[in-house]
Amino acid sequence: MIERLPVRRIILIVLSLLIAYGVIAGTVATLQTGRFSTADWVSLFTAGVARGSVYAIIALGYTLVYGILFIINFAHGEVFMAGTFTAFFIAQALAGQGILNEYPIPSLVLLFVVSSVVSMAVAVILERVAYRPLRGAPRLVPLITAIGAALFLQYTFRGFYGAQVRAYPNIDILQGNVTIAGFSVQKAQVLVTIGAIILWFSLYMVIERTKLGRAMRAVGEDREIAALMGINVDRTIVSTFAIGGVLAGAAGILFVQLFNSVFFFMGFFPGIKAFTAAVLGGIGSISGAAVGGLVLGILEAVGPILFLTGFGIPSPNQLQPIISFGILVLVLIFRPGGLFGVPDEERA
Amino acid sequence: MMSRFPRSVNVGLLGGFVIIYLTAVGMIEAFYDRPIITGYLQFSVALMILNYLFTGYMAAKPSKDGAAPKPISAGMIAGLTAGALVGFFVLGMTVLAELGYNPRDMFVSINPASLDILSFGQTAALAVPIQALLGAVMGLAGGYLFQTAKEARSYVLVGLATLMIAALGAPLFAVMMDGLNIPSRWLFDRDGLTIAGAIVVVAGSVGIKWYFNRISFAETVAKVPGVTKKNTNLVLWAITGVVLLMLPWVVNTFISDVLGTVGLYILLGLGLNIVVGYAGLLDLGYVAFFAVGAYSIAVLTARSSFLVGGSVTAPAATGFMNFWVALPLTVVIAAIVGVLIGAPVLRLRGDYLAIVTLGFGEIIRTLVLSDWLKPYLGGPQGLTEVPSVPLGPLPARDPRILYYVIFAFVVLSYFVAIRLKNSRVGRAWAAMREDEDVAEGMGISVIKYKILAFVMGAAVGSLGGAFFAAKLSVANPGSFTLLVSINVLAVVVLGGMGSIPGVVVGSLVLVGLPELLREFGEFRLHIYGGILVAIMLLKPEGLIPDARRARELHRDNPEKLPDPILAEAGGLSE
Amino acid sequence: MTHLLELNGVSKRFGGVQAVNKVDFYADPGEIVGVIGPNGAGKTTLFNVVTGFYAPDEGTMIFDGHNISGLKPNALTRLGMARTFQSVRLFDAMTVLENAMVGRHTRTRAGVWGALSRSKRTIEEEHHIQAEAEKALSFFGNRLTGRENEMASDLAYADRRRLEIARAMVTGPKLMLLDEPAAGMNPAEKDGLIEQIGRLRDEQGFSIVLIEHDMPVIKGLCDRVVALDHGEKIAEGDYDSVASNPQVIEAYLGKAAASREASL
Repeated sequence: MIERLPVRRIILIVLSLLIAYGVIAGTVATLQTGRFSTADWVSLFTAGVARGSVYAIIALGYTLVYGILFIINFAHGEVFMAGTFTAFFIAQALAGQGILNEYPIPSLVLLFVVSSVVSMAVAVILERVAYRPLRGAPRLVPLITAIGAALFLQYTFRGFYGAQVRAYPNIDILQGNVTIAGFSVQKAQVLVTIGAIILWFSLYMVIERTKLGRAMRAVGEDREIAALMGINVDRTIVSTFAIGGVLAGAAGILFVQLFNSVFFFMGFFPGIKAFTAAVLGGIGSISGAAVGGLVLGILEAVGPILFLTGFGIPSPNQLQPIISFGILVLVLIFRPGGLFGVPDEERA
Repeated sequence: MMSRFPRSVNVGLLGGFVIIYLTAVGMIEAFYDRPIITGYLQFSVALMILNYLFTGYMAAKPSKDGAAPKPISAGMIAGLTAGALVGFFVLGMTVLAELGYNPRDMFVSINPASLDILSFGQTAALAVPIQALLGAVMGLAGGYLFQTAKEARSYVLVGLATLMIAALGAPLFAVMMDGLNIPSRWLFDRDGLTIAGAIVVVAGSVGIKWYFNRISFAETVAKVPGVTKKNTNLVLWAITGVVLLMLPWVVNTFISDVLGTVGLYILLGLGLNIVVGYAGLLDLGYVAFFAVGAYSIAVLTARSSFLVGGSVTAPAATGFMNFWVALPLTVVIAAIVGVLIGAPVLRLRGDYLAIVTLGFGEIIRTLVLSDWLKPYLGGPQGLTEVPSVPLGPLPARDPRILYYVIFAFVVLSYFVAIRLKNSRVGRAWAAMREDEDVAEGMGISVIKYKILAFVMGAAVGSLGGAFFAAKLSVANPGSFTLLVSINVLAVVVLGGMGSIPGVVVGSLVLVGLPELLREFGEFRLHIYGGILVAIMLLKPEGLIPDARRARELHRDNPEKLPDPILAEAGGLSE
Repeated sequence: MTHLLELNGVSKRFGGVQAVNKVDFYADPGEIVGVIGPNGAGKTTLFNVVTGFYAPDEGTMIFDGHNISGLKPNALTRLGMARTFQSVRLFDAMTVLENAMVGRHTRTRAGVWGALSRSKRTIEEEHHIQAEAEKALSFFGNRLTGRENEMASDLAYADRRRLEIARAMVTGPKLMLLDEPAAGMNPAEKDGLIEQIGRLRDEQGFSIVLIEHDMPVIKGLCDRVVALDHGEKIAEGDYDSVASNPQVIEAYLGKAAASREASL
């Protein structure tokens, strides 16, 4: 009677104990070494907040689509890449003419617009070509389609713009630090965080206060009834993808202020991490995406050094993907509904 | 979609965009190097022609709302539109470049070389009439093709398909003919066909089709003395077996090597097919088992392994143990990893499972790459000096010998896959895949069978990893990226999920072909992505469908709600 | 005497909804028990709790001398419980015969080694599985026999219900739980069903618990009837006493108008 042997439970318990031990012992040991000052921790923390804000905005795209179609749009990272990569050429041209530094605000606005429009277009095409014909197909089918679409988009843009990594031109006024509450924080991080807050709040208003937002919620609740109520389901779904695309494109411009390089594969890891953030906060939840993004960003920035240095593990930042993927795995195992979601007890 | 244009123009615009897309991603330029008929027709030109033909054909088809166009004129208009669009694209890009806005600064492949191909070496202004004419003629032919009898159409398709296959496979076929001492110069010229070759191939294929249209293949085989209806299958299998065994001696070592790689992917595909195809669990971290197989064999047998105190720079005198002793151990280790990865995550719903397994794959790769485990696994360089498969006096590094070893294990795994499928275990998997709740209600322990699928998949996949390491004599993290998981997934999906022969076909097409077509190399993943999407949209059951799986994939099945109560409420039909 | 199935104070909540509230229930060997109640009364939830699809929030459940609280459906099947579903849930991509064969899973053993070696024992076991499956199919006369290789999805609705019962029979149960077996059947088919369920008890010796809305079916079959409303047991006894119970009548009539609208 193999099912009587709680293999799964034993593995889970051992796993949780190991992790708890690792985190606590690692933290204590690291702090004891005293190698890092408070300022170091603060700068790691703010870096984490900025990075997490970007994850949060990309995560909104996953959450919106999941909330309405219950599929994971695996290619969302590529939607993000498409806009950001395209806007690079505008930024390059602006920088070449000196406009970027002379009129930084209008230039940034232009970049946001270009990036968002391209990402939106890609998201809409993706929905139309890859997902719409598959509504109602078994779950595995759109999932494989999404993986294929992700690969196809990556290599399409590799074909378009080349395989090399390109450096986004810097905007001078965003370089350097400002002092907030006695700590020196990078200007770019401040801008990114503020930008993300604005984006998140705009989306929140759209969902809560507009007709489209109501339609989206209704379609997510029950597609057929929504259609009976006179809601154009197809248009609502396309709009959802479009909004996710706009946010991803905008997030891309924030992203390059932190990590100023672009290339065709740049969407993959932010995509997976944003997905992790969405799951962490509870997929389908808008606030969850924000919280999940921030938690993940901070853990990623602070975690490797805080948990691992104490064990004398060399180059802890190399192991950073383990933290992100580890969080993903753990959340899905222990709280598939996310940190704030309802636990999925019926399946337990 | 509403549009002001007639349908044929819309189809034509789409056809034109396809060519522009192919140009922008660089395929037109890259494929120009590959001849179809050497000196006369290049692959990218053939693509253009086929595209216009297809455009015309599609335009001639009745639309969904039932309006039937006049096939020939619709085809011609569509082709003309497509060609004109391409022509104006060439013209427009050239003008832009003249004005100092070089499109190439952004789109690296929209460069003079590829525009030159599109305008057939003429000036950009002439591109419009040339392309429009080509488009119109081929579009007309496409429309005509739609109108002709189905049988005549199938002859044209067979002829064209054979021509393309023969031409693209020219290097392979030429080598094989040389190996058999058959003169091949008159058929093949460098990488393409000669004019005579093209005629022979087309005429031959049409002739063969004509012959078998009258007498079925099985009947023909049955006419051979000694072959009865009963043993026809056996005879065909025997012939296939003999051909496969002879293969390395007919082709050169390069192709033997490619065949070895195809064999490895068949192993991996058979393993993943158990997980994805039989049990319905989408595992995107399958590379983890491949990596575990490769690293286990490397640690156990390599001279650079820490077990014998060696390192990459200072290998020890011998490895820790013999390959054949290490192999079963490797399989056991992989099976254990299968349980460890599987047990905690198997409760997850399909799409979550996919991402978590992807996460595990990346975790394993990160660990292998890290400085932390470098003393044991070699970090970015990996472990070198992995000995080849020891075969007594035989030269084990010879790709031909390795081909046989891999071939033997492929046959073994093939056998395992078939036996598993047609058994109580296979039935339990199928039931679970279709409806987990009901399967559990029928007494099937879903967890047990999911873990079993993972373990079997891991075991077979680790064999692939072990031979991979022995074949290349290294195990390094560069070989174990997410792309391997996706490659194998593409192999399984293309062939048909759950289909065992499908894995073989999938590997040949997706792994063997790109190795032979050097020009495709750069676009391999691009094309994989396209294939995954196209297969899911058009034929989710794959090229060689598994009957049962095909039915599942074609059923219009609303999202299965995990909660039985909800599912029941949804199923209420009163 | 000991009951085959005995529930004491079993409850199940979903969020704020008390789907099943402190229900006591039993079934004896060789008995046919009917469970009735208006839509949303908690009948199917009770089934799902009994068959292990949901864990009960409180209460005890004994089946055939085993404490079954918290056991998984597959373990319960092994102990001798089999069920059908309100909305027929067959393996549509399998043949009729294969559907029935899946039911034999817990009574057979062949694993990976058996599958690979295809030993004499495994082959005999496969024959045994097939024989059992064919036997169960033949219970419904020529409705299923002779159509073994057809796709389950191609069967007519009533035959799909029959196949589901056959599949449950193959598991070798002591107790069979049927969730609205007569739903969607015409009067002639219902008469056949009453006769067949009676034979299930008389010939096969199964105990049967069935949920049904169709009162003639309940009347024609059940030794004892249990009525639920709002997750609580409101009446129990023979058909006539339950059918004339004022609380039951109120539950049905008071609810009938509302449920007709809600079930749209």
